[in-house]
Amino acid sequence: MLFLLGAFVVLLLMVAGSRAFSLLFGLAINLISIVALLILIADGFNVLVTTAIISLIILIVAIYMNVENSNTANIAFKTSILIVLIILLITVPLEFWASAQGMGIEDQEELEAFSLAAGVSFPQLAIAIIVVNSLGVISETSVAISSGLNEIILSKPTLTPKEVFADGFSVGNKILSTQTNTLLFNFFSATFPLFFLMNSLNYKAVDVINNKLLVAEILTMLICAMGVILTVPITAYFVYRGVGKKSIDSIDK
Amino acid sequence: MKKNITRIIIVVLIVLVATVITHFDSFIYKDPVMKIQQVKVISRDKSTDEYKNTDTQIDQRLTGILLNTSKKGKKVTLKNSYYQSQLIDQKYRKGQQVILSKSGQHYSIKNVKRDTVLVFSLGLVIILLFCMKFSRSKLLISVLLNLLVYFGFIKLLIHNNNNYLLIMTVITSLLISGIALLVILGPTSDALMAYLSTVCATTLSILLSVLLLKLSGNSGVHLELTDFGLQPYFSVFLSQVLFSVLGVILDETMDISSSLIEMKKEVSDVKESALFKAGINIGRELIGPLINILLFIVIAEHLNLILLYLSNGNSIGYTFTMTLSLGFTQLLISSIGIVLTVPITSFIASKIITRRAY
Repeated sequence: MLFLLGAFVVLLLMVAGSRAFSLLFGLAINLISIVALLILIADGFNVLVTTAIISLIILIVAIYMNVENSNTANIAFKTSILIVLIILLITVPLEFWASAQGMGIEDQEELEAFSLAAGVSFPQLAIAIIVVNSLGVISETSVAISSGLNEIILSKPTLTPKEVFADGFSVGNKILSTQTNTLLFNFFSATFPLFFLMNSLNYKAVDVINNKLLVAEILTMLICAMGVILTVPITAYFVYRGVGKKSIDSIDK
Repeated sequence: MKKNITRIIIVVLIVLVATVITHFDSFIYKDPVMKIQQVKVISRDKSTDEYKNTDTQIDQRLTGILLNTSKKGKKVTLKNSYYQSQLIDQKYRKGQQVILSKSGQHYSIKNVKRDTVLVFSLGLVIILLFCMKFSRSKLLISVLLNLLVYFGFIKLLIHNNNNYLLIMTVITSLLISGIALLVILGPTSDALMAYLSTVCATTLSILLSVLLLKLSGNSGVHLELTDFGLQPYFSVFLSQVLFSVLGVILDETMDISSSLIEMKKEVSDVKESALFKAGINIGRELIGPLINILLFIVIAEHLNLILLYLSNGNSIGYTFTMTLSLGFTQLLISSIGIVLTVPITSFIASKIITRRAY
């Protein structure tokens, strides 16, 4: 693993030059935040509150360290926070309904040596898992859309707010497709061992559809997709408000 | 505008009907399905284990009626015991539908019926898509085609008992990335260019990583910890890496090559080296966010297990070795792929684009 780490750092230095340091720094902060999240939860802090706070830190790092234009970064940050809140609001009832928390009987072999009375609320952790899963996708989407839209506005300053929305969707189309691919392919990566196992355990189709682990994976993918879809209009709205303000200012003058 | 609203209303209605149908679809189940009507807590037992975790074990008595099979309408009472933390056991609520299994005269709960919530969530995504001006048909076609390929992959995998896993994964990856590019970019030379870059970058990074892993003798990588201990470990692991990095690399190649095409359109006599440099500059900005995406996905995947290790009195170091060493190896290989994609795509795209006339 050290060889891989070394190769990664060398390649990064070669490709990104001086930018590599801030990249590595950002990744390190994200890693530390996640480790902090784990330790706090294991120590008995409330799962959802801790996740919310750590998510906030991660979003700040992920957006402000990667984006140089402060206007773009502000809009992307506002959008991401709103989206993570919405995801939380969607996930809480859906997870409650699906009861797809924790691990499955398929994992039992792995769990034999453990005391399962862990004292951690796994239903809440299931919600945290979906939120953490979405952080990278959401921050990337909002940055991509807001920087795309800001560029369009810079090149055509006379744009009306309505046109901003239309442009938001044309920028959003491509990003939505690529993010869907990322989510879908990661779903493939996570589930093919599960499908294989379920087959060797002779599961019937109805057992597969109702399986806890599979349902959890599908829910994660669908909820992240909802987040990505909602990012487009919300980013467009924030940019549009910015444009609206500017045009009022120019009328005043 | 009005047409749009009617369309949304129709979609909402279809989703609602589908959700309601799956709520009452117990007749397609061969196993008995029970609707829980009454839940009574029999006993609570608070206990502290050797690691000072306090948890409560709760016994509940569930009464409900069967919704299907020949014994439809029959009252069933059974006992369920769970820990409040609910790692692999489950608290049942009134109104929930559960799938039972019967051994002799005894019923026990096999699973919660989760199909309704799946259909509802999928419906929610579709409703959201219809509320907005996205080009839905393209997206849906690409997702459906990719799911179809994946389904075929799983079928073949099961049929061949995992023997040709790696080869099949490579073919599947070639197919799904091809489909994704074709649907997004159309059958153009741009798509071909992005495809070429994706394939080259992914192959190179995987080969390089495998070489490095072999050189270090897989030290620090616990391959036997793949999901469910599925064999052969190394193939399963590499297949998972390949699938998960593919989406991100596709994203990257498309971004870089389409920006370079734009540049060529604006400045028609742009030099090859200038295009290459521009490609590197654009790619640099993409590396951080893309690694972040995979970082969070990889960690989220293992959160349950990590917390179980931590709460069982294991040190952070040991926990991470046992739970995340594979994930981090996966992340490192993916990151190498993400970094390598930048020069490779810039190189291929600048070569091809400068030879073209716009």
